[in-house]
Amino acid sequence: MTDDREKIFAAIRRSLRGTERSDALRSPASPLTSVHREDPEPPFRKFRTELEALGGFAESLKYETDASKFIAEHTEPASSIFIYDQVATRFRSLVGSLSESRRLRFGNEFAAGYDKREVASFDAAVTGCAACVAETGTVVIQTDMRLPAALAPKLFVVVEQKQLVASLDELFTDTFGNADASNLFMITGPSRTADIEKQLVKGVHGPRDVLVLFINE
Amino acid sequence: MTELKSRNFKRLYKKEIADQKLRANLKKATIQASDKRNDSFAEVDFNFLRNEAKKIKQESVSHLNDLLSQFEDRAHKNNCTVFYAESPEKANAYILEVARKNAVKKIVKSKSMVTEEIQLVPFLEKYGIETVETDLGEYIIQLAGETPSHITAPAIHKSRTEIAQLLHDKIGIELNDDPAFLTGEARKALREKFLSAEMGISGANFLVAENGTVVVVENEGNARLSTSAVKVHVVVTGIEKVIPRFSDLRIFMRLLGRSATGQKLTSYVSLIRGPRTDKEKDGPEEVHIVLLDNGRSRLLGSEHQEVLHCIRCGACLNVCPVYRNIGGHAYGSVYPGPIGSLVTPLFFGPENAPELPFASSLCGNCTEVCPVGISIHHQLLAMRQEIKSETKGGLEKFVFKNFRKTMLRPQRYRLFSRLARIFSSTPIARKAIKGWTDYRDLPQLPSRSFREIYKSNKGKG
Repeated sequence: MTDDREKIFAAIRRSLRGTERSDALRSPASPLTSVHREDPEPPFRKFRTELEALGGFAESLKYETDASKFIAEHTEPASSIFIYDQVATRFRSLVGSLSESRRLRFGNEFAAGYDKREVASFDAAVTGCAACVAETGTVVIQTDMRLPAALAPKLFVVVEQKQLVASLDELFTDTFGNADASNLFMITGPSRTADIEKQLVKGVHGPRDVLVLFINE
Repeated sequence: MTELKSRNFKRLYKKEIADQKLRANLKKATIQASDKRNDSFAEVDFNFLRNEAKKIKQESVSHLNDLLSQFEDRAHKNNCTVFYAESPEKANAYILEVARKNAVKKIVKSKSMVTEEIQLVPFLEKYGIETVETDLGEYIIQLAGETPSHITAPAIHKSRTEIAQLLHDKIGIELNDDPAFLTGEARKALREKFLSAEMGISGANFLVAENGTVVVVENEGNARLSTSAVKVHVVVTGIEKVIPRFSDLRIFMRLLGRSATGQKLTSYVSLIRGPRTDKEKDGPEEVHIVLLDNGRSRLLGSEHQEVLHCIRCGACLNVCPVYRNIGGHAYGSVYPGPIGSLVTPLFFGPENAPELPFASSLCGNCTEVCPVGISIHHQLLAMRQEIKSETKGGLEKFVFKNFRKTMLRPQRYRLFSRLARIFSSTPIARKAIKGWTDYRDLPQLPSRSFREIYKSNKGKG
């Protein structure tokens, strides 16, 4: 089917003919002015305040094994937990220790065209992140599998301190994220709705629990 | 397109305004929403952000061809297909063609005003393709066979008891009006749809020309699944959604969630650049971006151009005294409230919504809260003048002509105000303006004017 591109472009040209353009297009490389007011709180504390206000959870831990202990404490013994490849590669001690008490499934067990129902049955997912934003308590993930983190009722995000940025200004730069990847997802607290009489309910289609663990090791 | 209900505004609003329960529900929900909005702006400089957003939007619409070309070019490089549709019919036909090519039987759809505008769901259902709304509010409305009554809270007019009964009747769940229970049951029913659908449809809040990113903002996670758990993803949006730079999002992200729901940022922001890459194991294999005109290009260069700045946050609905009393269905349009009273006649023609620009007290609350600085009440006034200048004669014109004369001549003003005071004390006054007094009080005017009282008291200390 041929589209209406030329017709629409001609209509736009016609309508704008003779009108003054508000500004020349500003160069994408023009320096950004920060619109974020500096927070008195240190970034991690601010991140935690914001996330916890939404019903999420953030903790700063010394060692990877502390994170493993935390995840075990916050899941049932019979839980099946999905571990993203980026976590398995970067946080070996965490994964090694967690595998002793929980049933883990790894990203590298799945190929394209995997069974969505199997992934939907996982009780929790553990992912890394591309960045965290203190201003809003947001984690940004960029993964090779979108569904485990979107479907699991419980989402653990393992973060290195250096991934924490103060504000959205640092996130929306033209160099942010892996340009070759198809997507970036920003997650700010649990999935939620207020569609019934404006009463807040957490955990609609996405994770009900979002637990972010900063590792200082 | 079927005939728009917005032609029948006078009949529709009378029905809604008589519903006391609806008015109470709406008042509570909209006041709560606007209070939350106000609180959420405490930490940021609203006026600064609004000015920035307005500048970006002005820049975007005045360079629309350049930015659309740039977006299209990047989107192609990201392996997306871009389709321009002048009309709803063309957009619907293309989406049907994509669905048929992929042997699609089931579609999961996230919230999108443009798909409401083109009536996509009934169109696809007509061709036997099951199309399921997955936003909880939209799902409720779809099961009820209704249309949304608010831009961001589609089921705002329904009580929990009504929703419980509806879900009990339609999907056979236990009768229980606890919102958490109802949400959980809807989640179960919709999870099955996500896992079995072949195609997903979403709108787009922004299209970034610089890198071809499609931005989808939401709270429930349904848009994320509708764009990820499927083989084909179709984005349907208006041509005016394009913005120049990725960095512009730092402005809009701070404004949109706060204006819509009082959140600093919505729970999810999906930044989608294209179909799955070779290195990715899921995500759609095809992404189609349908860009709709449907009257938008006509507004460029006109005095209504700024209406194209709208980011569909719904803040103007929550503060509107008219919307608070009549709700969204009275407007008979997919776009209700103050912004809907502009968008509907502008997109669909004034003949399809001749009364909507008059459904405003012109109090300016809408303009006050608009995060992109649209002067909504001035726009409504301009629309009124356009509509009235096209109509001839009429009692209203006669009355206003004489009202003007009266206001300009003190003697005449005194005479008429005396007559009005006498008339308001008679029993026939209420009957004479029945249309007004049906839903409002008619306070009796004092027997003497302020001037008369002032004169008689002068010098009495």
